[in-house]
Amino acid sequence: MLYLLQLEWLKQKQHKSFLLLASLFLFLLPSSLLIAKSIRTWPPPINTPQTFFQFPDVFMYLGYVGNWLCFFLLGFHAVSIVTQEFSNRTFRQNIIAGLTRADLFKSKVAYLFVVAFFATLYFGLVAFLFGITHTDAIYASVAFKNIDYIPRFFLMCLGYMSFGLLLGTWIRRTGTALFLYFSYVLFIELILRWGVHMNVFKHRSMHFYPMNAIEDLAPIPFAEFAKGFEKEMDFGFFLSPQEAMITTSVYIILFLAGTYLLMAKRDL
Amino acid sequence: MSILSISSLSKNYGRIHAVDSLSMNIEEGNVFGLLGPNGSGKTTTLGMILGVILPDAGQFQWFDGRYGGNPRRRIGTLLETPNFYPYLGALNNLKITAHIKKAVNPDYNGLLELVKLRGRENDPFRTYSFGMKQRLAIAAALLDDPDVLIFDEPTNGLDPQGIAEVRETILQVAARGKTILMASHILDEVEKICSHVAIIKKGRLLASGEVTNILSNDQWIEVSAAETDKLKALLESIPDILSVSEKEDFWLLTTKPGFEPATLNRMAFQNGITLTHLTSRQKSLESKFLEITREDLS
Repeated sequence: MLYLLQLEWLKQKQHKSFLLLASLFLFLLPSSLLIAKSIRTWPPPINTPQTFFQFPDVFMYLGYVGNWLCFFLLGFHAVSIVTQEFSNRTFRQNIIAGLTRADLFKSKVAYLFVVAFFATLYFGLVAFLFGITHTDAIYASVAFKNIDYIPRFFLMCLGYMSFGLLLGTWIRRTGTALFLYFSYVLFIELILRWGVHMNVFKHRSMHFYPMNAIEDLAPIPFAEFAKGFEKEMDFGFFLSPQEAMITTSVYIILFLAGTYLLMAKRDL
Repeated sequence: MSILSISSLSKNYGRIHAVDSLSMNIEEGNVFGLLGPNGSGKTTTLGMILGVILPDAGQFQWFDGRYGGNPRRRIGTLLETPNFYPYLGALNNLKITAHIKKAVNPDYNGLLELVKLRGRENDPFRTYSFGMKQRLAIAAALLDDPDVLIFDEPTNGLDPQGIAEVRETILQVAARGKTILMASHILDEVEKICSHVAIIKKGRLLASGEVTNILSNDQWIEVSAAETDKLKALLESIPDILSVSEKEDFWLLTTKPGFEPATLNRMAFQNGITLTHLTSRQKSLESKFLEITREDLS
């Protein structure tokens, strides 16, 4: 496995797109939340931007910012690392040089796990740094109250990236695959859930779609409207964190299995 | 030792039989030419034996199974176009190939020298000319001293000097006793480089064997005499003469192997015919190739 990771590193370390995306992620994760400081007054119940940076809520707010970044940057990266191998025909060249198709699959998946690991590590670091510098009285019980956001963040990274990997492997063309990735997450699934599923079933099962489950790992924090929704329907607006984690894990397995089948069964 | 044995390999693209029940065998030390017109299934065949195209039917085995299911690390390949990471230079691209091949201490400088890419090894691959890309592909194929080399149309798209250089490189490698499999649609190239040849068309094997055998299997004799009718009657009575066709001012014969022009001369003399023209020549691979592929059409 280390051999495959080293190979992936040889491919990525000088790739401008990788360096740009990594820098953007490192820069935007803390700075997006810091922008909140420039807005002095917030409507209740927030009132002051300090809330965003204090334990235990910092995980929630930073998680939501990270949710968008993972969707845009990590998903983009997962799609493009595989479509570029197809368009440069380097997958073909890798096989000819001696990799197996299983190696191709394993190298991409191992790489995405490592990316997810480092993104999560960075998320944890930034969250703790913000928390420590902004919370007046730090109690371990408070600081670690939302610690489950860390495994949730890891699953969220993997969820977006495994979906991107599947689409990239299936479509093979960078532009089309990216277009489909962004449209599915931003529009298609919403139409399926709210336009179709809701009208046919009007049931909680409408929340178990893949992107919604991934989003609910770190959902939008001040969702007052969610309460209104809950009153109107018999069920809540969000999946519980446990539900979101289990659902996302199942989808990750499905996406990776689909990717493996596509890599193994099609001509290169 | 058998380097590669292929039996009944087939691949269809919809209704098109790209490769149709192809069987052949390549022995150690062969410089094997896979000869066929464009679209005859050469690259598809190579793609299948290299694991990038999945066959619909048939089997192949490399090295008598010595390296198990994935022998490709022992094979150096240039398949179709040179495919590398466009944002990396020659050196880093070679490092990736070497990593995949698990090469121990690869001689990057020697290889870059050999393919004349020293000085440009850190420029991105996308800035290279086609000739340079092709030469890098040859360097990648030669990495880690493979047991077998596969070249698919290695001189395609190169200028005359580049063609001569690539052929020279291949001959040098062949001289070291390497087994080489080369696909080409250029007869001259196969004739100059290869010891063995398989001719394929529309995915079917039409002929295969040593290049010299395919060349010497048939010979042509041109003959003419003042007594045309008598000569024709004589020619048709000799069983070793396979065909007689009339050309502008001579008869063109194909004969069984070993039939000597001297025999014909003696027989003509005994029958009171004075030959005015008698030459024998071997069919060139080109005419053989055209003949074989034409037979297939009819």
